Amino acid sequence: MISFVRGAVVFVFAMFLQWWWNAHFSYWGAAPQFLLVLTILIAARRGPILGMLAGFGWGLYLDVARAELFGSSALILTLAAYAVGVARRQIDLRAAGPLAATTFLSTWAAFLGLGLLGLVFTKSFEWSGWIAVLATPFLNVGAVVAASLLWDAREGR
Amino acid sequence: MQRETRIANFILGALSALSLLLLSLPLSTPVRSLKAGTGYIFNPLAYRGEAGYRRIAGSPARIKQLLLADIENETLRAELRRGEWLATTVSALALENERLRRALVLKAPAGRSPVWVRVMERDPIHWFRSLVVDAGADRGLSLNDPVLGPRDGLLVAVGRIVDVRPNTATVLLLTDELSAAAAYLSSGTLEGLIQGQDGPRLRMNYLNAEARLSAGDSVYTSPTSATFPPDVLIGRVARVNQRDPFLTFQSVEVAPAADASSLQELIVLRARPMDGEAKPPSYTPVFPPVFVPAVSTAPAASSAPAVSSAPAISTAPARPRRRAPAPAAVKPPQASSEEAAFEAVDPEEPR
Repeated sequence: MISFVRGAVVFVFAMFLQWWWNAHFSYWGAAPQFLLVLTILIAARRGPILGMLAGFGWGLYLDVARAELFGSSALILTLAAYAVGVARRQIDLRAAGPLAATTFLSTWAAFLGLGLLGLVFTKSFEWSGWIAVLATPFLNVGAVVAASLLWDAREGR
Repeated sequence: MQRETRIANFILGALSALSLLLLSLPLSTPVRSLKAGTGYIFNPLAYRGEAGYRRIAGSPARIKQLLLADIENETLRAELRRGEWLATTVSALALENERLRRALVLKAPAGRSPVWVRVMERDPIHWFRSLVVDAGADRGLSLNDPVLGPRDGLLVAVGRIVDVRPNTATVLLLTDELSAAAAYLSSGTLEGLIQGQDGPRLRMNYLNAEARLSAGDSVYTSPTSATFPPDVLIGRVARVNQRDPFLTFQSVEVAPAADASSLQELIVLRARPMDGEAKPPSYTPVFPPVFVPAVSTAPAASSAPAVSSAPAISTAPARPRRRAPAPAAVKPPQASSEEAAFEAVDPEEPR
């Protein structure tokens, strides 16, 4: 029960953090994607099932703010969680380096996936801009490393 | 592990299918309903978050404003206290100014050197007996100097100096039991002795037993007074005492013109000025107007006494009118500087 409440708090707090950062600290579209980062982290630490469920919910939250392509972020985050869940069988994602590399690549993959979904469903590639595409992976890496350290610290490792 | 993988694959398939369904049917009613429901759940997060963020973001400014307001509040409180103090001071100064302004129109008696003093101390136990003023030998005060006080544009008798110290002096009030002064009633030639009773009233004794006395008469210092200049208002008759058949005189109660509780500035008539001070104006003989026949152009000047030609008499500032004063009762003014004629402006008295 406690873990459920704690998970719900983290779920809501993550959405709030994403909104807050996007609304007040985003420059030219460059902002850390906390929801993606947390999806990856949860999938890496707790497995793909929990990661996919959380990612799908957070994806819906991101999609609500969009005028079109409702469901694209949910699909991307779900796939990201699944991919990380598959990768954690081969790679030790508890280590900071692999986790950072996974996050870096997942970020670009997410951009690519969103663009392709736009191309498929709206006939136009959704391009987020060079600044966002180039800067966001680094921001995400920083965010996932920070979140991983916090997680480890909390678990006493 | 296999089970987890299977579940993961199943969830992946389900969620992916759902996502694709949402992407494929964006305008369908279920999708729009889901989107609306999701928005209903998640939008308050942003809305409330924004409101909370603005509130939190505005906190430093509010705290700063609060601190500044507190500082300003303290400053304004201090200014307010200063303002209240200033207002009180200004009010006191205005009252004092008014008193002094009125006092300026008063004329000191000729031959006397007046000095203004402030009442410095009173003894509550002996309220009607004495008070201390802030001048003493340093300002030329000497024993038995008469002390007058302003009252409605008029100088009235207050008392006399009985103790002189370097910087202060004690004034024995007329209301003190030990005070006594020769006085006369304005309604006639009746003279008597005004005495204090250690209370708010004075008593005038030794009035002619056959005289008809009435309340309301003014009482003035007599020219026979050894202390006061003549014709200084002492008070008014408040009550005529019942005649005592065993006494050969009558007495009246007199309400003093000088209220002992309201005296703040007094004038002491010094016998002589201090070194370096201007000498008081020389004495001009002033005789009661009754001696002045028609000052006009009476050709029979020979029938008028020499003093009748003194225009100063007819233009003299108001002095209490004495009805048929006995010439013998008026001492020659040059006889004593203490008993020099005193001109007091009394607007109430007919001129």
